[in-house]
Amino acid sequence: MTEYEVIIGLETHIQLNTVTKAFCGCKADSWGDPANTNICPICTGQPGALPSTNKAMVEKALMLCLAMDSDINMDSYFDRKNYLYADLPGGYQITQNDKSIGRGGHLDFLMDDGREVRCHIHNLHMEEDAGKTKNEGDIRLIDMNRCGVPLVEMVTMPDLHSADEAATYLMRLRQLLRWLGISEANMEKAHLRCDANVSIRPKGATELGKKCEIKNINSIEAVRMAINFEIDRQIRETEAGNKIEQWTIEWDNDAQELRKMRSKETAADYRYFREPNLMPVHITEAFLAEVKAKMPELPLARRARFISEMGLPEYDATVLTAERDTSEFFETACRAYTGDNKRVSNWMMNEVLRIVNERGLSVSDLKISGQDLADIIRLVDAKTVNTSTGKKLVDLVQDSGKPPKKIVEEEGLGLVSDDSAIREICARVVENNPNEVATYRGGKETLIGWFVGQVMREMRGKADPEKAKAILEELLKAG
Amino acid sequence: MTELIELSALEQAKLIREKKISAVELLEATLKQVDAVDGRPGSLDTPVEEPEDLEKVHAFILLTKAHALEKAAEVDRKIAAGEALGVLAGVPYSAKDVYCTKGIQTTAASRILEGWKPPYDSTVIERMNQAGAVMFGKVNLDEFTFGGSNETTAFKPTVRNPWGLDRVPGGSSGGSAAAVSANEGAISLGTDTGGSIREPAAFTGIVGVKPTYGRVSRYGVIPFASSMDTMGPLTRTVSDAAVVLREIAGFDPRDNVTGRVPVEDYLAELEEGIRGLRIGISPDYLKITYLDDDGNYSSAAIDPEIEKSVWRAAEIFRSLGAEIIEDVPMANTKYSVPAYFVITRIEAYSNLQRFDGLKYGHTTKEPVRDMYELYYKSRGEGFGYQAKLRLLTGMFASQEKFYEKYYRRAQRARALIRRDFDDAFDPAGKYRLDAILTPSTPSPAFKFGGATASDSLLMQFADQFTSPMNFAGTPGVSFPCGLSSEGLPIGLQATGYDYCESKILRIAYAFEQATSEEDWRKVKPAALR
Repeated sequence: MTEYEVIIGLETHIQLNTVTKAFCGCKADSWGDPANTNICPICTGQPGALPSTNKAMVEKALMLCLAMDSDINMDSYFDRKNYLYADLPGGYQITQNDKSIGRGGHLDFLMDDGREVRCHIHNLHMEEDAGKTKNEGDIRLIDMNRCGVPLVEMVTMPDLHSADEAATYLMRLRQLLRWLGISEANMEKAHLRCDANVSIRPKGATELGKKCEIKNINSIEAVRMAINFEIDRQIRETEAGNKIEQWTIEWDNDAQELRKMRSKETAADYRYFREPNLMPVHITEAFLAEVKAKMPELPLARRARFISEMGLPEYDATVLTAERDTSEFFETACRAYTGDNKRVSNWMMNEVLRIVNERGLSVSDLKISGQDLADIIRLVDAKTVNTSTGKKLVDLVQDSGKPPKKIVEEEGLGLVSDDSAIREICARVVENNPNEVATYRGGKETLIGWFVGQVMREMRGKADPEKAKAILEELLKAG
Repeated sequence: MTELIELSALEQAKLIREKKISAVELLEATLKQVDAVDGRPGSLDTPVEEPEDLEKVHAFILLTKAHALEKAAEVDRKIAAGEALGVLAGVPYSAKDVYCTKGIQTTAASRILEGWKPPYDSTVIERMNQAGAVMFGKVNLDEFTFGGSNETTAFKPTVRNPWGLDRVPGGSSGGSAAAVSANEGAISLGTDTGGSIREPAAFTGIVGVKPTYGRVSRYGVIPFASSMDTMGPLTRTVSDAAVVLREIAGFDPRDNVTGRVPVEDYLAELEEGIRGLRIGISPDYLKITYLDDDGNYSSAAIDPEIEKSVWRAAEIFRSLGAEIIEDVPMANTKYSVPAYFVITRIEAYSNLQRFDGLKYGHTTKEPVRDMYELYYKSRGEGFGYQAKLRLLTGMFASQEKFYEKYYRRAQRARALIRRDFDDAFDPAGKYRLDAILTPSTPSPAFKFGGATASDSLLMQFADQFTSPMNFAGTPGVSFPCGLSSEGLPIGLQATGYDYCESKILRIAYAFEQATSEEDWRKVKPAALR
């Protein structure tokens, strides 16, 4: 059987999380709002209404360009893409055609096996979203809340070679968008939408095969499934001696299957021309500098720094840089702790992320802070509490929002280091267990651990075990 | 004694402020004049023009009497209470029916917008409100402003020229021009994309200002070609034009192309005179250049009476201390009409796409199978001939495969036309002009049907002297300079550099003052005699 190479390019639509829409003052996020409530003369295409560019959209698009290392057009233009559809009230979409804000660039990401993949970006442009159409029986309903919501369309080069790579690209993109704070990037809520162009060719061939475009893929899992289905279909067709035709295919998420929408014979003519109602988007050096100053360290760079400068193993660095908030929590904790970063990492991964997972929270929702975590580890280090109490403290701080030290005081969780209290219990344990004492004295000194355990049990874990051990040895040897 | 309705807006405002007349009184006098000269308003249900229609002006589509009475009474109340007043408080005005007026029918003179009441006011209407002016009606125009004669309106009877009722008032702001020249209000708001304020102003013997692109907000005005649309006043005096422009001009956050350039006090600056101004005359504006049937450029003379008026005005300006610079080349003027054809049609086609029969306006009553059939039928019924022609030619010319051939070439021609102006006005250049004096039109108002007649070169090219300023974005004012031997008004245009409205208004004003006692100024339009 022939071996095939898979070639995938992704077109993603990213909904920017601006407060207002791209070209008017309406609220941009209508999630949960009744239909046609966040609308105005501008976004519903009333005659005479004019668009005005939302600066926040440009800023967020610019951040994405910087993160993707794209070439930035200091003067980019808006164009009209003309087509007639009921959910497009102006009769044209305002978008960027030939002079868009960003061109080129790349997203680097790691596969689970540690392999690094570089996916090149063809182009990044800003545009407005259209409304939503819904059919109810014979009636077609239009919700214009989404009209004019700002999007960035980012198109990759055909650099991805498996469904896994495509899915990982999307996961990394989603991580990056949230990291930058420019999109909620929730695929289920269509903040992040993906169309995939898939083709195959015999391994070693240089010409690209006919590609099929899969539309409407709304989760990472669906991307993986849909692409794999399509690869299988194309291989099956090719093996059967059939030609692959250029189709547009829809992913039906409910049925979990692909459905052919149309054969693509001729490209639509959108009659692009410059949108005369908007001035070119001119990015000044000062504005660019301002946006650059706001740019956070990016995930891969931070991961590398966690390894090289903070001495973390690769696994830890990957986990702790999955989200920006997690990495910042960790760094705050390390700065406050000033000790072994790996020790902080263990506490972070085992305890803090345990709470996040158990309670379905995100790191930004936590009441416990990086400073609190550092304080707890220090309490354990100083033997004010033992390790298991320390772990319990993480939960208690999260529950109450109080500082760890205060909880220790209030709840009396501190280890008892008062000699006389421990000595009293030790004496009682020695007195009550004559058999074990005899065995110890007979030479089985390892039994000391058992005695310490008895003391700890009596004192409900609050005794300093080192101290208890010393007193017990003294008492046992004295006999 | 001069009647109230013959007074300028500034004179009317002064009488109101001095409590010599009330705003309601002035409004009633204005409405009485409309009643006397205008005839029945333009309507979609008037297929045949009756003989009596031919004797009336028909400037209006809609009179907003109740709305206007309320506003006028409010002005009177403020005056009685001694409250602060806008500079145009109580002055009645009309607006071309492309200005969106909240809750008041706005038609663009097209059936496709039948019954539409905008949910908002245009910026210019808001600013007129702030100045205290009282809108009392919406006036007719060429459908969607597509035309220069008012004949393409879907609202009949068509507007007639008060100076000769068998002649067109010009267009597309023909209703505005006819209303003001027939004393139906001292001010009307028009729009100008290729000469639509200046040509009808010239045809009806009044003043019309096309401001710099971006000087007056376009927000809330139904567009023709968005890269060239401008909004301005039509008035009987230069002072009125200056004061209205001052009130409506300025930056508007809702219109991206408005400039943050301070608005000058155009009215106060009129008195500064024109001594020392350098005024150019270009041979390219004293002839019509056109493409003949073989595709070669040919030229034709303009009406000799009009050329004479240009030289006479030049003499007057010279006598007032201006310097006249002859033979200023504006060689790219000839590209204006064909390039205009391409760019305006492409933009117009795109701007017309939103009229789908679904969201507002006319919806077909025929049965339809699906959404697309609803579009086809509603648009087929709703758009008139000129709108359809522009849609078709615009869709044709905007095809991707023709992008280089038409749109890009037209944009290059546009850049060349702009360069003519840059060179002429360059303060370090050869000509260092403050203004250029041109005829507003190559001929006076023509008869109905004239623009489509076979020997109608001058009429077809009626906007050759006005459309270059829409390409260049520069301002122009048309002002009356006399009457032709047939007794029709002739207009001249002073055009200046970006945001130099003050200078060109000073030139128009200087001419107006210098000729104020001339006999032709005492002649009334035929409809008022």
